[in-house]
Amino acid sequence: MTSGDVLLQQLINGLSLGSMYSLLALGFTLVYGIMELINFSHFNVFMVGSMIAMLTLQALGVVGQETVMTGLPLAGVLLVTFAVTMLACGGIALSIERFLLRPLRAVKGPAAMITTIGVSYVLFNVVLLTLGTDAKNFPNPLPPIIFNIGGAVLRLREIMIWVTALVLMGGLTYFVQYTKIGRAMRATAQDPDAARMMGVEVDRVVMMAFFLSGALAGACGLIFGLYYNLAKVDIGFAAGLRAFTAAVLGGIGNVPGAMLGGILIGLIEAFSGQVVGTAWTDVVIFSLLVLVLVFKPAGLLGRLAPNKS
Amino acid sequence: MVSSAVAFVSRPFQAMSPNARKSLGLLLLAAIMLAFPLIHDDDADIDTAANALSYATLALGLNIVVGFAGLLDLGYAAFFAIGAYYYGIFTSFQVMPLWHDYWAPLASLGLVEKMNQGGPDLVHFTLSFWIALPTAAVVSAFFGVLFGAPTLRLRGDYLAIVTLGFGEIVPIVARNVDSVTNGAAGLNGIQAPKLFGYNFGIDAEPYYYVGVGLMALLIFVSIRLRDSRIGRAWMALREDETAASTMGVNLVRFKLLAFAIGAAFAGMTGVYFVAKLQTATPDMFNFNVSSMLLVMVVLGGMGSVWGVVVGALLLQLMQTWFLPQLSEWLHALGNVLNNDMLRGVDMVQWTQLLFGIILIGMMLFRREGMIPATRKMPALSFNAQHAEIKRGGFANLHNIPRWDTGTGNALEIRDVVVKFGGLTALNAVTLTVPDGGVVAVIGPNGSGKSTLFNVITGLVKADSGSIKFHGVELLGLQPHEVLEEGVARTFQNIRLFPNLTVLENVLIGQHARLSSGPFASVLHTPHNRAEEAKALVWVTDIISMFGNRLTPRAQQPVGGLSYANRRRVEIARALASKPRILLLDEPTAGMNPAETLELAEQIKSLHALGLTILIIEHKLDVVTKLADNVVVLDHGDKIAEGLPDEVRRNEEVLTAYLGRAARAAVMETTDAA
Amino acid sequence: MQPKSEHLLEFKGINTYYGDMHALKDVNYTIGHGEIVSLLGGNACGKSTTMKTIMGVVRPRTGTVLFDGLPIENLATSERVKRGIAPVLEARRLFPRMTVYENLEMGAYTQKRGAQFREDLERVYGLFPRVKERRSQIAGTLSGGEQQMVAIGRALMARPRLICMDEPSMGLSPLYVEQVFDIIQEINRQGVSIFMVEQNAAMALSIAHRAYVLQTGVVVLQGTAAELREHDDIKQAYLGEMKVETAA
Repeated sequence: MTSGDVLLQQLINGLSLGSMYSLLALGFTLVYGIMELINFSHFNVFMVGSMIAMLTLQALGVVGQETVMTGLPLAGVLLVTFAVTMLACGGIALSIERFLLRPLRAVKGPAAMITTIGVSYVLFNVVLLTLGTDAKNFPNPLPPIIFNIGGAVLRLREIMIWVTALVLMGGLTYFVQYTKIGRAMRATAQDPDAARMMGVEVDRVVMMAFFLSGALAGACGLIFGLYYNLAKVDIGFAAGLRAFTAAVLGGIGNVPGAMLGGILIGLIEAFSGQVVGTAWTDVVIFSLLVLVLVFKPAGLLGRLAPNKS
Repeated sequence: MVSSAVAFVSRPFQAMSPNARKSLGLLLLAAIMLAFPLIHDDDADIDTAANALSYATLALGLNIVVGFAGLLDLGYAAFFAIGAYYYGIFTSFQVMPLWHDYWAPLASLGLVEKMNQGGPDLVHFTLSFWIALPTAAVVSAFFGVLFGAPTLRLRGDYLAIVTLGFGEIVPIVARNVDSVTNGAAGLNGIQAPKLFGYNFGIDAEPYYYVGVGLMALLIFVSIRLRDSRIGRAWMALREDETAASTMGVNLVRFKLLAFAIGAAFAGMTGVYFVAKLQTATPDMFNFNVSSMLLVMVVLGGMGSVWGVVVGALLLQLMQTWFLPQLSEWLHALGNVLNNDMLRGVDMVQWTQLLFGIILIGMMLFRREGMIPATRKMPALSFNAQHAEIKRGGFANLHNIPRWDTGTGNALEIRDVVVKFGGLTALNAVTLTVPDGGVVAVIGPNGSGKSTLFNVITGLVKADSGSIKFHGVELLGLQPHEVLEEGVARTFQNIRLFPNLTVLENVLIGQHARLSSGPFASVLHTPHNRAEEAKALVWVTDIISMFGNRLTPRAQQPVGGLSYANRRRVEIARALASKPRILLLDEPTAGMNPAETLELAEQIKSLHALGLTILIIEHKLDVVTKLADNVVVLDHGDKIAEGLPDEVRRNEEVLTAYLGRAARAAVMETTDAA
Repeated sequence: MQPKSEHLLEFKGINTYYGDMHALKDVNYTIGHGEIVSLLGGNACGKSTTMKTIMGVVRPRTGTVLFDGLPIENLATSERVKRGIAPVLEARRLFPRMTVYENLEMGAYTQKRGAQFREDLERVYGLFPRVKERRSQIAGTLSGGEQQMVAIGRALMARPRLICMDEPSMGLSPLYVEQVFDIIQEINRQGVSIFMVEQNAAMALSIAHRAYVLQTGVVVLQGTAAELREHDDIKQAYLGEMKVETAA
């Protein structure tokens, strides 16, 4: 492989990883923008999503990588799985807000964040105890079609990931920009008291934000499974860290920022793996996070988060 | 019959004073802990107990960072790792440089030895456990400062993430810098401690006793710190950074101090832990450890020394005894019911799930923890509850020394300009406060009065101008430095430390006037004891100035006090710093006319003692009573200045307050519908 | 529309506390249908607490707030907006990163979309040609006076029967203050009642029908605007000098 090929391959990898991180980062940023809360449970909702997706695909008759579908059946299976996973994860996130976080809405300090740490643990361990620690073979109905671009390899699944991510991100952007409740979400993020005085029911807006963040996490879980052909209980932490860095890099609370940040982090991960070795990638990403937070907390596209006193 | 027996036995205890009871309790506890290995001679259990002690000391260290100082550190295990690897590297056989003659003096000190494993001579580090303990504390403290420094300006949740990051980086480094740490396999052959020739070996007992000693030491240090100037400063910055800063607490220094001391606890524990295990691997220090420690602190009570020890021991007990025992019972039940699932269950795997549930439960239902740090106070007597309006100024002023007044100006504000983006909050404002005088600043909403106070005390930067206090330039100083110069203030919307008592709040005022550092505070040096005693006397005198409004409530957390009393505590706190000028920001806001009069007379009595006062006040009758000179601000400009009576009659002042009628002519002709 | 009750808004015996601080003491106001009523007073007298009590941000401990004869003191804010009370907040508080148009859309949050929305939009553009010009501009970039226009327009989009204004003249240049007060009168002529908290007594009294003067949570003066303009006591009240008999 020439160095041009390597570059192209890493670009492809980076974009795929970036798509996933963007979706996850969007979820973080939606919640943070409205609640100023770092939701630690988010990345384990993502992991739960991949498990739910796996079980759904199995229930639909997809076995490992042997069952290959094309055309309409493929589309149907994928759509159903997306729907189920996204609804389930959205519901989980919504329940977390409604029952565990809403009582703490008025409490100052880290109480809500600590609660999300607890929820994260509960989600992780429930999956661990019911499904085990081993890596599961993720059912993948996609046909193993490959495109060769020079020496680089582009698989069908990657195109599917890009398209799905674009559709989801586009849908979310449309929702946030042009629908009534999307506008209400943006208004609440900018000035919750003024929003309330316009007649916005802030409780509903918060629930919607959590639902959407969960749904995006679920979709990301399904995509992850299709990309790596595996689902494992501990995939949440690493992915969550990268997604969080992406959100901060793009400007936390900022929707286009999260998308840009996700792609950037994906590319950084791909190229850093090439240059420094995967073991040190975590350190690279963490260091980037610390640097951004200390020197440019507003991120690339964002505003400075207001001070909670 | 049982109840009367119990009553009979408990009588002598109830007759004892609370202090004696506490000492007896501690003695009993110590006796039990020391006797434990003799009573229960199971090596595995003693080892488990020793491990539990490690986690207790770790929890104590985290309590300093999270509980006392309010800095949510999610990567605390990093410091545990640093201490552990420090000892490991300097006692195991991993790092062995080539022997040169310059190592000889160190060999004679017993710190290294010459080894030969077939090849050139090598250096084997043989750092003594007893030297490693304190030195690891220093090394970890250094890293505490290093990791803490980037977080100083971050908000609570971002601070958590950054510390989480460092907590992750350390094990990754440990896993990957193979040459020094032997990577994922970890360091083996770590040296066991030796005491006067006695090698600790592999028996758990001697380690257990060392653990008890270490825990006792760290509990002692925690308690001493908590009740000292250091602890008060930490709790103040936890409750309200801005107020703490303007009361003289150097935020940077104390935050770093919390990180350093907390890290030191962990470093020492790291040495102990791996000395016992004789192994150190990166897995021992990952996020699960950090979060388990968080659960211990949350369960026990953030900021509560005994609470976190109990929380740590309870969780360890749950993990090492209760859950395995429960598994056994369930197995037995499974055998009885012929149920395979029950037969095969392993409850220990539920540990982390239970941690998560505990975190959620504690946050929702008992945020203060099992043994809360703030104590509940007994109810006040009727007399103590009802205070009458006292006329004639402060009581008990004979204990308060006069302020020295010169003839010059205490405060000289010259051409100060403050802009916030496009808005000019202060427009070349010039104002002087003569030494020993009282100047009032009045003006409508948004005129810049509070900004003036903020720029004097260093909370806001001036774009140009100068503020000299007794000749010293204040612009550019940090808020705590301004306090040190003798400028103390109160806030318009009252900024007290809600979970601290009245006494503790007022004592913060003395922070900058005391000088004991952490060592003096822990050791209770004569200097430390003397200055704390003096501070207590001074603060008590100040509190008694308010008659019986504050004195009966001195041990109550201020959060529960009435609005007027909280105002009074704020003023007391400012006075406690022995200021040379007192900046009062709308001190009578929210008070009824009677309370307003009382406070106005009290302020006047301070003035009579020679204290210089600058007061923002919108009630003109208070201003008339108190002020020598009145300055009127409007939209950032000084529009009038003079004696209270002159100012009251000034047309411009009236217009500023009542508003400009742009259509004065129309006023005549508009008729009400 | 037939008014159901004698007054549009009524405060009866309202006592509002912040913790133990007694911010409003046994306060009574009335706002009639089609009236402009102003609430005056110096710093920290309880004006903003009154606004918050009307909008529902703060609940009174005792007393009742009647809107069109029905009690609203325990209703959620969003519910009160639906019933016809719209706020113009202190310092405008537009949504800074949304466009002027989107801010107006938010104002219409409780209303149906469609013909009604377009009608209301045209009405607002008619009152404020400047706002129409700047409808695609990000709200945070407008000047204070322009923002105030948008804020009033935003309130109008809710088809309110009562607009509550908190210090509409604050931070505005005299030119804009005059324009704003002209608009307030115009809106009132079109049938909307206005309750205006204002520090600038002179301006307020030049357009209000009636006014109340508050001092530390107590109503110390009330009457028609003409009566109050004559009153010398108003100066005293503002400067915090009124000697009032209050229970200690």
